[in-house]
Amino acid sequence: MNIHIRLNPDKAVHAFYVFFIIHTCQIGAGLMGVPRILFLEAGVDAWVSVLVTGAYMHVLVLLMLTILRNYENTDLIGVQMDLFGRWIGKGLGVLYILYIFLLLLTVMKNYIEVVQVFIFPQIPIWLMSAFMLILMVYSILGGFRVVVGTSFLFFFLTIWLVLPVYKPVTFMDWKHLTPIFMSSPMEILAGAKQVAYSVLGLEILFFIYPYIQNKKKIAAAAHAGVFFTTILILLVTVVSIGYFSPDELKETVWATLSLFKIISFSIIERFDFLAVALWMMVIIPNIVLFGWIIIHSLKRLFSFPKKPSLYITALMLFFFSVLIEERIGINFLTSITGEVGFWVVFVYPWLLYAVLLLKKVFRKGNSNEKMDPN
Amino acid sequence: MKKKFHNSTDLIQKVFHIKGQAIVVQFVSYLVDRERLEREILNALTSSPKRWTNDTLMNKIPIAASECVSSVDQITQKVLHGSISVYIEGEKEAVIFALPKLDDRGLNRAETESLVFGPQVSFTESLNTNLNVVRWRLDTDDLVMEKLIVGERIPSEVRIVYLKSMADKENVATFRERIKNLQVDQIEDSSVLGQLIEDSSTSVFPQLIFTELPDRFCNSIVKGRVGVMVDKSPTMLVGPMSLFSFFESTEDLYMRWNMGSFIRMLRFIAMAISIILTPMYVAALTYHYEIIPSTLLVSLGQSRATVPFPPVLEALLLEILIELLREAGARLPTKVGQTMGIVGGIVLGQAAVQAGFTSNILIIIIALSALASFTAPSYLMGTAVRIIRFPMIILAGMWGLVGIVFALSFLIIHLLKQKSLGRPYLAPIYPFQWRDFNDSLFRVPFQKNSRRPVSTMPQDPTRYNSSKAEEHKDVKSP
Repeated sequence: MNIHIRLNPDKAVHAFYVFFIIHTCQIGAGLMGVPRILFLEAGVDAWVSVLVTGAYMHVLVLLMLTILRNYENTDLIGVQMDLFGRWIGKGLGVLYILYIFLLLLTVMKNYIEVVQVFIFPQIPIWLMSAFMLILMVYSILGGFRVVVGTSFLFFFLTIWLVLPVYKPVTFMDWKHLTPIFMSSPMEILAGAKQVAYSVLGLEILFFIYPYIQNKKKIAAAAHAGVFFTTILILLVTVVSIGYFSPDELKETVWATLSLFKIISFSIIERFDFLAVALWMMVIIPNIVLFGWIIIHSLKRLFSFPKKPSLYITALMLFFFSVLIEERIGINFLTSITGEVGFWVVFVYPWLLYAVLLLKKVFRKGNSNEKMDPN
Repeated sequence: MKKKFHNSTDLIQKVFHIKGQAIVVQFVSYLVDRERLEREILNALTSSPKRWTNDTLMNKIPIAASECVSSVDQITQKVLHGSISVYIEGEKEAVIFALPKLDDRGLNRAETESLVFGPQVSFTESLNTNLNVVRWRLDTDDLVMEKLIVGERIPSEVRIVYLKSMADKENVATFRERIKNLQVDQIEDSSVLGQLIEDSSTSVFPQLIFTELPDRFCNSIVKGRVGVMVDKSPTMLVGPMSLFSFFESTEDLYMRWNMGSFIRMLRFIAMAISIILTPMYVAALTYHYEIIPSTLLVSLGQSRATVPFPPVLEALLLEILIELLREAGARLPTKVGQTMGIVGGIVLGQAAVQAGFTSNILIIIIALSALASFTAPSYLMGTAVRIIRFPMIILAGMWGLVGIVFALSFLIIHLLKQKSLGRPYLAPIYPFQWRDFNDSLFRVPFQKNSRRPVSTMPQDPTRYNSSKAEEHKDVKSP
């Protein structure tokens, strides 16, 4: 396998879309429940945790780009192959795919559960997962251009859901946010880790990098995407803490969606129904982008043809999503994915960077060979 | 020759013996201009003092469209297209004079894409007339009209029309290649050609614009698009097109910009209403009563109290009724059609409610969404919108809001995947081109809109000097 990706310029997209890709990849099922889990850990100072994670994500973007810029045009799979050699690199690639698969499954399961709880107790799980997987397969079949387009359009189709939040804001009790800085640093860090669970998806940057036309502008777009994610989570957290009483918030599993409950218009009395249904449009870019990573990486690692691997992946997702039934199962799945994701997304890049630096020094000592292995 | 025409009496073969020469004149009686034939050819032939050769024929007879042809097949072809063949005994070739006389209906007012305000003329079935109109509107030597012949059994002439210095070469080449690669025995109409060369034949959405308006056709060509004209068809093809161009009417340009923009937005809203309204009704009444405000719920409940069917069935019933009315109205002669609308719309609708088949509110909703679907300036797009409503209603009836959101998502991804001549169908939204919004989703004042849409890849994107556009030099009295 060639480490570098050569592609014709038609296939590449503008750096402008990196913002949407990263943002839609991060926002998904996690946003629905983040206020509660955050509040349980960090209490009133939950917003500090969000800021901590936000700042850390910016560092992470810098780190990822630094790693990628050491190469001509490659993705994570290529980097791993270069740093760890052919076999270990492939093994790590497979593990990464497994992690993405787990993440995809978690996102789907969580959303299906929300739909069942909020609007449709009797909707069968297989139907919901079939809906989502059909959309995933249909979109990925269109190629990278359509995948990016899906994330771009669905961002605009759903971002207006932020606007009705003004209503809970008017009911907010600012006293709920005081006293500030009461939590210990450890609690805040624990909260930050909880935020990290809900913003998994940053790793997409490792995979789309070779497909971006103007590499210089990626940094700005990526930082903007991460920043926007932070702002959204901060907004939701602050409003939830202000709107719900502390005891209430501890009981509200999907606080973000519950915020929509009091919103009503003259033609729509219960906005939360619409919001939960529309949340599928928030989930779809997630599923499509993660699905694309899986298919794309399988192709890169083992030259699997894309169509069969896409169908097989979809079928496997379908069976797994039907098999995991109870809430306990979903909680277990979510916490496992969160834990794995935390290490993979937020810690692993440092290891990569360290190995990269070591290798650089090592190579320099050996000869004046260039980094480019070709 | 006789054999080729199966001894038809249509082919007239007249042998003249002039000065010992036998001259054979052949033509199809009703395809040629008889008057000119007699005056200019026969008169000259018979009255000339000298012996005729092909040379003298070509030079002496005052008809510009003449040529020498040797093969019988070619002569047959030409004669079929309204030419006259003159053969002098002893010569190797026959001389062909083109003197066609075509009966066409002349230029009329546009019927399917009628405008309230602006040019009213529409294309006709005759390619000659249409070429004439296009040349007259775009009188520049930059205009290219490439000629291609399509159809193996019954050939018809196809023209690719574009501005040489404006149209993207790739678009022209795509059109040319796709038309050239066609292997069909006949092209019934330009819309058939369009379907044959479209990017995706499975989609319900048209990917090329079919228009009968010369102003719309020419405007698109000046913007850098490529047009295709087909003989015997009054509709022209234009590509590449984006979804939004199907909601543009040239009238938007002729009206003031604020009105134009307003109407354009109205059409987009109408499409959304037309697609979503009925499914929302079905979803809300089947599964999500909570969505409906309590005050409305009372009146809804009252009007639905006697309806024995589930909302899906009720909605489908009425939708089909409306489609039936539309279809019947389209097939019937105009005079009867009017009565049909009244009978169907008022009598049936009223009776259906009184008989307890449907609720009043549903009738309002269905009528509204039918009305909305008719606002699309492109007939094909209106049809597409009406068709996608049916699966949406069924999905809404089965799985409520989740079904609707699924259908909408599927629709959007479907649109994302479409291409027109290999160009993205959702431009300028994706790929995002902020400048192109000027003349697709909105219609900004001409002074502010000095650039052509770049989604169609024009070679020269500037229309005029934008800095000077807003200057108005008034003559001031001293």
